[in-house]
Amino acid sequence: MATTYRRKPTKSEVRRQQMEELVMFPIDWLEERSGLIGGIRYFLFRNVPSDVNWMQTLGSAALTAFLVQAITGVILAMYYVPSAASDPKTGNPVAWESIVHITDDLTLGWLVRGMHRWGASVFIILMFLHMGRVFLFGAYKYPRELNWIIGVLILVMGMMEGFTGYLLPWDQTAYWATVVGINLNGTAPFAGPWLAQFLRGGQEISGETLTRFYSLHMLVIPGAIIGLITLHLYLVIRLGVTSPPWSKDAAGMEPEEEEAARLRPGLTRPVPRPSGASAMQAEPGGRE
Amino acid sequence: MAAIPKEKPSRVDELRAEFAQYKADVKARGKPFYPYAMFHDTIMSLVVVCTIIGLAVIWKWSAWAPDHDPTHKGLLGPEVDPPADPGTTSFVPRPDWYFYFLFYLLRIFKWPESVFLGTVGVPTIALMLLIGLPFLDRRRVRRPSARPVAMVAAVLTIVSMAVLTWKGATAKEALASEVVQDVPNWVKAENLPSNARPGAELFATAGCTACHTYNGSGGSNLGAPDLTDIGSRNLGLQFQVNHLKCPSCVNPGSPMPPFASLGDERLKQLAIFLEASKGSP
Repeated sequence: MATTYRRKPTKSEVRRQQMEELVMFPIDWLEERSGLIGGIRYFLFRNVPSDVNWMQTLGSAALTAFLVQAITGVILAMYYVPSAASDPKTGNPVAWESIVHITDDLTLGWLVRGMHRWGASVFIILMFLHMGRVFLFGAYKYPRELNWIIGVLILVMGMMEGFTGYLLPWDQTAYWATVVGINLNGTAPFAGPWLAQFLRGGQEISGETLTRFYSLHMLVIPGAIIGLITLHLYLVIRLGVTSPPWSKDAAGMEPEEEEAARLRPGLTRPVPRPSGASAMQAEPGGRE
Repeated sequence: MAAIPKEKPSRVDELRAEFAQYKADVKARGKPFYPYAMFHDTIMSLVVVCTIIGLAVIWKWSAWAPDHDPTHKGLLGPEVDPPADPGTTSFVPRPDWYFYFLFYLLRIFKWPESVFLGTVGVPTIALMLLIGLPFLDRRRVRRPSARPVAMVAAVLTIVSMAVLTWKGATAKEALASEVVQDVPNWVKAENLPSNARPGAELFATAGCTACHTYNGSGGSNLGAPDLTDIGSRNLGLQFQVNHLKCPSCVNPGSPMPPFASLGDERLKQLAIFLEASKGSP
């Protein structure tokens, strides 16, 4: 209800109101023109089943690992030089020297490179674990089939990031693993030799291969992964989070309800709760 | 008017009804993502970031050595490997750990005709099955105890991936320094003439045995054939030299890297050795 002031608002009340308007103005402006704030509100306050499991954090954990890769990758790209040419002073390849420079000379360079190097493995492991959780929960079933396929594509793209990133330090292990890796691609029927030729950028692995892998590693594949992750998250929000398959109810189970549920047949039956249901919505955090 | 008896609901109808029920239940009685689920997600994300930082720190502080001494590997391997050298004579092709299972698959499909099964065939089939999973398993039930086939298949997949990764990780690499000690045995076993001796030593040290086996030495990798009696095929010195220079030119699709960087003189020595290898009598 609207409160009408009988007296003139005090100075502090006026200032408070002005401050509120100042804060709300850009938010309202953005909301009016994009609906973004409403989207964020929907994302944050949408309901999930009340018994979501710790295992269901693996997806966001993989996303975090990807963000770590993105941030550390941007920093590394500021210092890394994708050139196989020899440094005239030392005779070492420039790309390899830039890696040594990042590791030895830059402040916390070793940390950024180490996080990128090992974050890659963590990202791959988390994607596999997340996939295992989705499999265990049967969460790939109707209507989430498409999201499973997108997830598999992200996993494949992630492994391609591993393959292309492995060459960039331009050291012995990287070089020879890639020589063999590309030759293995070449054994595929029909497209194989063409693919190998494309990846090498010629008959032999050279500086051209390095720049090619660099471009794939930091532009093409990450771009694809970001697009796929966006789609993946959109579908998660649209379709909702599955409850663990052992819950007796789609919305999750409360302890006091469990006894009653045992007497009630079926997996997902509507629970007649005329007064409780609306009270819940009024106070979302009211029960655990 | 008598009601027309309704048909039994189709599978699609049942799925849709079940999903609509799920949506309604969650909306009515679920809990909001923020702060409940988000709290768990945040904790987990912090654990992930700390793990990554921890690995980076362990890598750095256990591998640190002045001038990147390659013999000092630390707990997670050396920080910097020697720079790439296309002209090197000894190398061990080693992918990152999550490709070990593919790497080891190639030891299983090691006959030249079947290499492509290991490199492309099996991985492609596995990927197709993975993508097609929601269409292969169309039952509605989600409880693991009610999906014995899926669970057994999952366990078998995990076990086989783990075994292949483990085997790939522990696969014995043929060290040039060890293989070269077998050269006298080769000479004896195969009655190699003295002019084949330099080629034999080169074969042992130039990285050939990283993939090829010879008289029980070396490790079979990437489908490379055993070369114990390669000479009995009488391919000729010129063929051997050409093949070493550019394997995929002579033998399209060969995964063997070119060894042209060894130079004509040494390639000829290798060719003499290979042609002289007629197998144990």
